[in-house]
Amino acid sequence: MYNLVVLPLLIPVLCGLLMGIFRKSIAFQKCLSLLSLLLTGAAAFYLVQQVSARGIQILELGGWQAPFGIVLVVDMLAALLLAAASLVSIACLLFAFKSIGPEREKYYFYPFLQFLIAGVNGCFLTGDLFNLYVCFEVMLVASYVLLSLGGSKPQLSEGIKYVVINVISSTLFLIAIGYLYGVLGTLNMAHLSLRIAAIGQTGLVSVIAILLLIVFSLKAALFLYFWLPGAYGALPPAIATIFAALLTKVGIYAIMRMFSLVFYHQPQITHDLLAVMAVLTMLIGGIGAVVHGDIRNIAAYNVVIGVGFVVFGWTVFTPAAVTGAIYYLIHDMLMKALLFMLVGTIIIIVGSSKLRDMSGMITHHPLLGWLFLISALALTGIPPLSGFVGKYLIIQEGLTRGAVHTGYYIGVAVGLLSTLMILYSLIKIFVRGFWGETTLSPDMEKGNTRGLILPCILLTAAGVFWGGGAELIYPYVEMAAASLLDPAIYIGAVLGEVI
Amino acid sequence: METLMSVIVGIIFAIGVYLVLSNSLLRIILGISVLAHGANLLIITMGGLKKGGVPILREEAAAYTDPLPQALILTAIVINFAITAFLLVLAYRAYQTTGVDDMDDLRGPDHV
Amino acid sequence: MLIITPFLYAILVPFFRKYLEKVHTGWFVLPVPVGIFACLVKRVLFPYPAPPLQSVPWIPSLGIHFSAYGDGLALLFGLLISGIGALVVVYSIFYLAKEREALGNFYVYLLMFMGAMLGVVFSDNVLVLYLFWEWTSIASFLLIAFWYERRASRYGAQKSLLITVLGGFAMLAGFLLLANITDTFSIRAMIVQRDTIFAHPSFGPAMVLILLGACTKSAQFPFHIWLPDAMEAPTPVSAYLHSATMVKAGIYLIARFTPIFGGSPAWFWVVSAVGLVTLFWGAWSAVRQVDLKAMLAFSTISQLGLITCLMGAGSPALYYGPGPTAAIYTTAILAGVFHLINHSIFKGCLFMTVGIIDYRTGTRDIRKLGGLMSLMPITFTIAVIGSFSMAGLPPFSGFFSKELFFTAMLNASELNLFNMETWGLLFPVVAWIASVFTFTYCMIFVFKAFLGKHKPQKLEKKAREAYWGLLFSPAILAALVMLFFFFPDQLVNYLIIPAVASILPGFIEAGPEIGPIVAWHGWTPELMMTLGVVAVGSGLFLLIRNRPGLYRRPPEVWSLNYHYDQLLERSEAGFYRLNRSYMTGSLHDYLLYIFLFLVLVLGAATIGLDAWAFDAAGNSPITIYEGILALVLLGSALVVLFARQRLIALIGLGVMGYVIVMFFVIFRAPDLALTQMVVETFTLVIFLLCFYFLPELKTRVESPPFRFRNEVLAGAVGLLGTI
Repeated sequence: MYNLVVLPLLIPVLCGLLMGIFRKSIAFQKCLSLLSLLLTGAAAFYLVQQVSARGIQILELGGWQAPFGIVLVVDMLAALLLAAASLVSIACLLFAFKSIGPEREKYYFYPFLQFLIAGVNGCFLTGDLFNLYVCFEVMLVASYVLLSLGGSKPQLSEGIKYVVINVISSTLFLIAIGYLYGVLGTLNMAHLSLRIAAIGQTGLVSVIAILLLIVFSLKAALFLYFWLPGAYGALPPAIATIFAALLTKVGIYAIMRMFSLVFYHQPQITHDLLAVMAVLTMLIGGIGAVVHGDIRNIAAYNVVIGVGFVVFGWTVFTPAAVTGAIYYLIHDMLMKALLFMLVGTIIIIVGSSKLRDMSGMITHHPLLGWLFLISALALTGIPPLSGFVGKYLIIQEGLTRGAVHTGYYIGVAVGLLSTLMILYSLIKIFVRGFWGETTLSPDMEKGNTRGLILPCILLTAAGVFWGGGAELIYPYVEMAAASLLDPAIYIGAVLGEVI
Repeated sequence: METLMSVIVGIIFAIGVYLVLSNSLLRIILGISVLAHGANLLIITMGGLKKGGVPILREEAAAYTDPLPQALILTAIVINFAITAFLLVLAYRAYQTTGVDDMDDLRGPDHV
Repeated sequence: MLIITPFLYAILVPFFRKYLEKVHTGWFVLPVPVGIFACLVKRVLFPYPAPPLQSVPWIPSLGIHFSAYGDGLALLFGLLISGIGALVVVYSIFYLAKEREALGNFYVYLLMFMGAMLGVVFSDNVLVLYLFWEWTSIASFLLIAFWYERRASRYGAQKSLLITVLGGFAMLAGFLLLANITDTFSIRAMIVQRDTIFAHPSFGPAMVLILLGACTKSAQFPFHIWLPDAMEAPTPVSAYLHSATMVKAGIYLIARFTPIFGGSPAWFWVVSAVGLVTLFWGAWSAVRQVDLKAMLAFSTISQLGLITCLMGAGSPALYYGPGPTAAIYTTAILAGVFHLINHSIFKGCLFMTVGIIDYRTGTRDIRKLGGLMSLMPITFTIAVIGSFSMAGLPPFSGFFSKELFFTAMLNASELNLFNMETWGLLFPVVAWIASVFTFTYCMIFVFKAFLGKHKPQKLEKKAREAYWGLLFSPAILAALVMLFFFFPDQLVNYLIIPAVASILPGFIEAGPEIGPIVAWHGWTPELMMTLGVVAVGSGLFLLIRNRPGLYRRPPEVWSLNYHYDQLLERSEAGFYRLNRSYMTGSLHDYLLYIFLFLVLVLGAATIGLDAWAFDAAGNSPITIYEGILALVLLGSALVVLFARQRLIALIGLGVMGYVIVMFFVIFRAPDLALTQMVVETFTLVIFLLCFYFLPELKTRVESPPFRFRNEVLAGAVGLLGTI
């Protein structure tokens, strides 16, 4: 019983509501948003400390005991993701202050941002499947609104696709929940795990598991990623950043949680299917990233590759590989946010997102250029930047598994190949956009970068720390992986004596 | 009854999917509503039908139906309502801005 | 920790650039390589009892430490890196004008490179080695594109980065395979477990992957294509990175892993064959170049091939184990290391000479140059020394390594191991032909540029001798070339023997004494071969000197470069079409994919797992009301489906909603029924409102396959739902 657990969910919701009341005062909304996110971040970091000191923390809402009431659970994975999410959203908020424009600010940009973050945090915290659904919906509804704010033509046409596909996947989610309840009679994740362990993972349960897998894959852009590139490409930079950094990661989190805590009995079916999907995702994402001449599309396809790589690492399913996957997941949150911010800044400067319209920007924007290079190298996994530790763990464990199961060799090869594609696609931006003849003099630029660089620096610093300071972080990540791989820890914490 | 309900739900799903796969935005929205109805029916069927009294704590009833699926459906109904409304507004806005209602014409800038 | 110094110093460089604009930034940078050089010399002259292992933990939980280990091989490379680095810095001070160039950037990159390179050679931990390895690639990328306004610079930089990073990834995978076998990241610990590695099935893949890393970095055939394009870098950079140091990293890697892989037939064949092919190909291409720098680039490729080949030819020593039999192979390794030093020195020297010519005349095209001997006498002298050393003529140090190379090749041809009986003869023959080409392009270099008629009208600038600052560095290197010829023993004792000892551990102590290297061995086959090279080479030079036809490029299809470009272009275009073909931007297509995937996977799972759960026993009875309701529900759903008019469709939907309300009532859920009723009403109202604005449903005729596809899919989803 630990009341602090609810804070990351509660603070943004309350602040969002409060902002709705004071709709006229944008300045007030700005201050409150920042305050709320700072508090959330503080709570998240405190939770990380608490979990590492005292184990998994739970909160039973309304005092109902676990399998019956609503329960919030925070283990190390959730706590780390909360912390990373709040860091990213703070940076994103700072970015939005300068770039989002009064038009969107007036139409409740800040409150919906808060709801979005509340939804994301809720997904990380919740201990039962139905609340996961609810939090998904909170997050998605907020994202629908953010997506259609402003309402330019491409935004609307891509927005509709995004909304329709997500609504359908939510419906499928609901259907899966219905089936699961029909078969097992509970929706509490820990309880589900126990029931399945008791009756064995029958064929029917596996089928439901696969249905859930498809649902989460849709959310995570794992193989079923079709909605992502177009939608992310049409968004204003600040919103694209928060989407890229958080939304797909929630899907990945759900996959990790469900398929390690609940459906872990038949890995040769579910996990192998996931591995195949992950490998295909990396490949397709890589192809997409290589071919596009529009920097927003390149960035969007990079999100897809990242998803594939994390999930592939996770499916290797050894302690070290899962550690690597979590490490890479959080790296991906930080660095994808950075990448989208930088891309957004470039677009603001140039006024176009086509590579052919830009050249020689490094003369007037050296800092931006170097930050971009750092982010490109980090995403490629060049040590000692943030991507390295996760990447090397995943590859090493993939190779170990490859000795048993040859398919994993292919996975590793595709993983390395897709990393090369990441490098190629991002270096292309750097070489063509920043180098070359300087065509754009400062007074011809479409917008200025004042205040936009600060959040980028913040994230770069976080990224460098995430790689260079790996020794400090590693125990936490390892603990997250350990609790993920041993469902008993989680179940024991949630259900306690009820078992 | 459960069997009958399952068949009905299956047919509803089929209809919903067919509608969603059409090209007109309005039909897609209708399809989504149909799918949502199907899902709700499914959950209540899965929760077990008519096994007891109304789940309100009263003296006389000996058994209740499972209240949890009802809670789920309640939430789902509300969410679905919100989303349907939102989609309709979005469709309206899209129509206003782009002048089309056909998804094939909404392919985006890269695909014309 | 010497490795850290350049990095730390690199941080300071921009400040020098900013606050002390009067003085050339290079002067501030100079103390770094000089200091490192001095420290290393001290280490060489007064060796510790055992090479110390210094270690700073980075991620101890994963066993990753910054551990530095200074054995003979590392020291040798360290000396080359810092020594030539110092000379290059001096040279660059005069080569790059402080007014025009972004010197701050230049020296930051250069120091970054120097630090990374030192890191590569001193690291004992493979992951840290990988770290520094990638940073050499990145520093090289930045340096090649130092003049980033030029298109060719950018192209070259991107190419070199892609190829070397590709190799780096392969190498990482190889390292991790090794780490999986041996359960350690330390190279020295791996060497101890040599037998385990040999027996392991991953031996082959690990070897190939690591060699891939080495070959991309050292520009071995067919990965050599990035090196000529890298010559777009400023000349000091070419002299430093692309001749003396960075490309040697691959050689270093081969040498470092010889104790692990050496002695296996695969290693012998792959390494020496790749080396031999590169040697030949590089030398042949070099003869055909008209740009002096390109000629040197191909010559670098060829010389690197030579060293690689020697490393391969020496590896059988490990097969025999320490003892007299292995001695001749030890000689090959010795020759390799010797040539490595020589090559760094004379190639650095030659690149600087070309830089001077370029700087003073404005061109590097040998068709425009000529007769510079009288105008630039000192440069001429230096060039002659450098190129004759490269050609392997006495009295220059290149002579020794060339002789040793021939010895090693002749030995290799007599090897009765690894199927050498059949192919052995190829080794000395190819080596000899390649040496002829080497000799020829050395002659072209000297004679075309410096002798012949001066053609001032073709030059952009008036040629004259360079000032002392530019000449200083090449002159020192040329002096070293002479010095090593007359006093080779000191070099061998202090540098080469320790280096060989770390490539072939335990061999120097056990094997017979390696005799002092002398210039005159008597009329040995090696000497005959050298004489033959001189004779044929001169003939070839005379033959082609007035044939411009040689420079006509062969059809593009023949060059690997063309294939690299094609690969990128084609795959980009192909991928583009591929991507376009499924990312249609049409919602319908996307949904189709999703449902198709759903049906396929779920269907397969259901059938495969036998997940039919059908149990009618627990069903509650159907009453007549419920039956009617169900029928109404179905009917209204069908209305929605087939309605041509939107209002009718809407009515259908409404009826559905209200029937579901009735169901909720029956199923004992009154609160749900209430909610559903309210919500349904609201939904209908909103729908109606929207109808006011939205267009009428189009009665559009959809193509039969389209409908059929949808119907099948919908039916399948429905079926699954039922189950």
